Amino acid sequence: MEATIEVAGLRKRFGPAVALDGMSFTVLPGQVTGFVGPNGAGKSTTMRVILGLDAADEGTALIGGQPYATLRHPLNHVGALLDAAALQPSRSARNHLLWLAHSQGLTGRRADELLTLTGLETVAKRKAGGYSLGMRQRLGIAAALLGDPPVLMMDEPFNGMDPEGIAWMRSFLRQLASEGRAVLVSSHLMSELQDTADHLVVVGRGRVIADKSVADLIAAASGDRVELRTAAPAEAMTVLAHAGGTVAAVAADLLTVSGLSSTRIVAALTAGHVPFSEVSAHRASLEEAYMELTRESVEFHAGASS
Amino acid sequence: MTEAVVSPGRPRRPARDAGGAWAGLPDALHAEWTKLRTLASTWWLLLAAAALTVTVGAAVAATYQCSGGPAACAPAVTDADPAKISLTGVYLGQVIVALLAVLAVGGEYGTGMIRVTLAATPRRLTMLAAKMAVVTGWTLAASAAAVAGSLLAGWLILPGRGLSAANGYVVPSLANGADLRAFAGSVLYLVLIALLALGVTTAVRDSAVAIGLVLGLLYLFPIVSAVIPSHTWSRHLEQIAPMTAGLYIEATVGVAALPLTPWQGLGVLALWAAGALLLGAAVLRLRDA
Amino acid sequence: MSITTPFRSELSPGRDGFRQLLHAEWTKFRTVRGWIIGLVIGLVVMAGLGLFTAGSVSSSCQASGGGPVRSGAACGLGFALGPAGDPVSDSFYFVRQPLTGNGTITVRLTSMTGLLPPATPPANQPSNGPLDTRPGVEPWAKAGIIIKSSLTDGSPYAAMMVAADHGVRMQWNYTGDTSGLPGAVGPQNPRWLRLTRSGDVITGYDSADGTHWTEVGAVTLSGLPRVVQVGLFAASPVDLQSQYCSGYCNGPGGPTQATGVFDHVSAPGGAWTGGYVGAGYASGVGSYHPAGGGFSVTGSGDIAPIPPGHGGEADSAITVSEYLLGTFAGLIALGVVAALFITAEYRRSLIRVTFAASPRRGRVLAAKAVVVAAVSFVVGAVAAAFAVLAGTAITHARGYYSAPVSGATELKVIIGTGLFAAVAAAGALAVGAITRRGAAAVAIVIVALAVPVFLAISRAVPAGAGDWLLRVTPAAGISLQQAYPRYQQVASTVYTPLNGYYPLSWWAGLLVLCAWTAAMLGVAAYLLRRRDA
Repeated sequence: MEATIEVAGLRKRFGPAVALDGMSFTVLPGQVTGFVGPNGAGKSTTMRVILGLDAADEGTALIGGQPYATLRHPLNHVGALLDAAALQPSRSARNHLLWLAHSQGLTGRRADELLTLTGLETVAKRKAGGYSLGMRQRLGIAAALLGDPPVLMMDEPFNGMDPEGIAWMRSFLRQLASEGRAVLVSSHLMSELQDTADHLVVVGRGRVIADKSVADLIAAASGDRVELRTAAPAEAMTVLAHAGGTVAAVAADLLTVSGLSSTRIVAALTAGHVPFSEVSAHRASLEEAYMELTRESVEFHAGASS
Repeated sequence: MTEAVVSPGRPRRPARDAGGAWAGLPDALHAEWTKLRTLASTWWLLLAAAALTVTVGAAVAATYQCSGGPAACAPAVTDADPAKISLTGVYLGQVIVALLAVLAVGGEYGTGMIRVTLAATPRRLTMLAAKMAVVTGWTLAASAAAVAGSLLAGWLILPGRGLSAANGYVVPSLANGADLRAFAGSVLYLVLIALLALGVTTAVRDSAVAIGLVLGLLYLFPIVSAVIPSHTWSRHLEQIAPMTAGLYIEATVGVAALPLTPWQGLGVLALWAAGALLLGAAVLRLRDA
Repeated sequence: MSITTPFRSELSPGRDGFRQLLHAEWTKFRTVRGWIIGLVIGLVVMAGLGLFTAGSVSSSCQASGGGPVRSGAACGLGFALGPAGDPVSDSFYFVRQPLTGNGTITVRLTSMTGLLPPATPPANQPSNGPLDTRPGVEPWAKAGIIIKSSLTDGSPYAAMMVAADHGVRMQWNYTGDTSGLPGAVGPQNPRWLRLTRSGDVITGYDSADGTHWTEVGAVTLSGLPRVVQVGLFAASPVDLQSQYCSGYCNGPGGPTQATGVFDHVSAPGGAWTGGYVGAGYASGVGSYHPAGGGFSVTGSGDIAPIPPGHGGEADSAITVSEYLLGTFAGLIALGVVAALFITAEYRRSLIRVTFAASPRRGRVLAAKAVVVAAVSFVVGAVAAAFAVLAGTAITHARGYYSAPVSGATELKVIIGTGLFAAVAAAGALAVGAITRRGAAAVAIVIVALAVPVFLAISRAVPAGAGDWLLRVTPAAGISLQQAYPRYQQVASTVYTPLNGYYPLSWWAGLLVLCAWTAAMLGVAAYLLRRRDA
């Protein structure tokens, strides 16, 4: 069985609202796949459909080629952390893991291993209701790893974490991927995934907008534009237009040029005796690339603030 | 936090799982058992159910008084049913039994943990069956204790209150067929109440609403059937009321005059419980978690 | 360098007061659709059950001795109606003569004896044979003199009498009752009785010796005809008492009879005639004999109101309590909503937002209580009004009989049901604040409100214990729904919670309920202040 998540053509409506509108993507093993999109884009719904919690009106979601509901011990196939607060507050952390272990035919020893792994062994006997958000997050991760699954799925795992926690989570996710697991992590903030994800599935309004590696995505957003800093922008524009480029003025001394490589730009400017101080390839940030992609699909625009 | 090392080497690739539709039941049962056992409220509720049943039964038995001698206290005069008096506590014990069953499901919906449960046991009917079995087991134990205590209290108290063998009564005892039916039937009654509550909660997914519905169903029927002036309707309502009909099983006196036989009455409650569970199962299957 | 001016909101500051808090809580309440649905369900079920009651009544009857089986309204009433239109029993043995215009009747009563049914049911009582009886007088057996406008059942009257265990009484028009000389009557202790008619006014007097007279009462029977019937009577109501049991007894009972011995009879004159009034409703035992210059009159039956209630003599009279049988369905729905009004805030941690906005937690609780109480009052009163008014209209339209109540009583019951719902809902809210868990709160509220009523009316506990449950638990609030008076001159098995007669008066019941709610609110306010949100 392949350690993959395959989502094909998912559609789902909640009354008049379209939650999923033909969502399709594949999560491959050995890398962290970021699942990004604005709030309400359908990320959580997709994850719930993958776990068989919500039923799609159309389409399929398979774990290693099988529907989730047919898995005998599903936590051995997929570990998921959807909502760290989803536990009964009066039960202790160990007992929470214990019943989950029993549901998969595992023993209490596995629960203890994970308590140690996530650093909860000292508080394992305390009621989970008294845990801080960070502790609950760790307990949720322990639950996700209980079955040592080849596929992991986390919904907004960075939410509410302190910087130290975010750093830990990033290295943790990378480690899981390096072990050959398929890791799907959702987020509505691209910056959280900047140095973590290898691959991105960008969604908006219930469908996939982009499904690319992080490097490709940035390159696409950057285009082949070159930035030119010059004290004589008028002359530079004339010369470069002649050479076949498209030029736009960004600031008093800054132009962006597309359609010409930086080498040809330098050659053309030198030939025309136009002074310039800097020629550099434009590189978009991941955030920019993301904003560019999702501009049309943001569901809730912030109102103009007074 | 420690460095994240989950397991040495590559993650294992689980073999394709075999097994039929109910193959996951033993694991689900184990999980549900652990789940209920590790909530302190379970133990308190079971203890309270047994204690309340016995206490109320004993208190009502002690309130009973017939001091007129064999003639005035004859069974035909008083119409008293010693077994039913001993089991008066069931009227209150059932509230706690229902609450236990409601919380077994409603507690998970209230916290969102139901999604964790269904992610772990995606075959939802397997999960429901496991919950039914575990709740049945717990309730059976508590009800047996409650009913045994009530029997003992009745046996100790009632003869001193005029319902003695000398006055012509059958003092509650398991050696008597009708009494055995009353006591064993009451245990079954409480189990069916728990299953009814389980079904209703699975259907409505909210503890407070569910307990309101279950207790409303139990107590409103007899209030309405007692007050309604139409005798025809009163009798029909008694025949379909889950509590009134279900508790015909407690009758050891005047059984022939009941609108249904004791086992038919318990059957009515069983139908209610089955209906609620079917509804719950349908909602569980069809609705998103 | 720029100087930063402190930020000042341009919003005009709201007034800080309880009204604002109330407004906030009301907004919170009305914007949860599930709660509004809950209220509507409660209202519809409560009112709907009242209409169901009215629509479900049916009866069938057959004249004694055969004939067609009739059903529904064609059966007519099984009782007479008094001058006020309410059910009365009017059956007694009457030794009478007509009186034209004004006049006076005076008698001396020297003894009262009677027969009672057996103390224990005979083992093999023949169903049609003569009843086994024992000597004794039913406590409310009556013998005396009466002025009655006609011989029709339920016609107006005024009477002076001795009631076996209740001394001399003047009674009129079935419900009126005043006491005169106390003590039992006997040869050593005779009672003189006198009635005088003057126009529409009838005055009753009693005396122990025939010379010193005391006025017991004067009543006006408006529209009294010129010729009325005056005379001597004896009546003895059905025995209902069980003397030995305090438990589940449905002990012996049955018809009784009483005999009064009269002498010194002074009446306007004319021939005496003996006969039954309302024989159809009595056992028919009755006779009179001249005895020592007077009469011995034997009779059975009663001249009294029939308290309306299910299972009593006025069984076919539909009562206000029956229209209100859905009250507890409404209360359960209101209790669930009221408890959730605060427990839902705990579950979603909204309570922290609430307390951040209004740090005085006691006031938040008070505002919530006022909101749920006001809403519940409206739901309870509207549902009760609908159930009673529409129910009565349906009953009348179908040709059946509703035991009448005055408009003031209807209003009292409707407002009372609203108050019951309001105070109970505020209590449910308090329990919710204490437990912070919806299911526990709802279970507690139902056990406190509905279970005592169930236990009391289903006779699951002995009657005495049931009455106590309706005195001390919050279910005492149901006393606010009592619509019919309890007549002390009528011993009846109808006076039970099942039939709408509760052990506390309406104000005492309201007080008990309020005490519970106040106590719960007090505990809740204390815990809210002490506990972390």
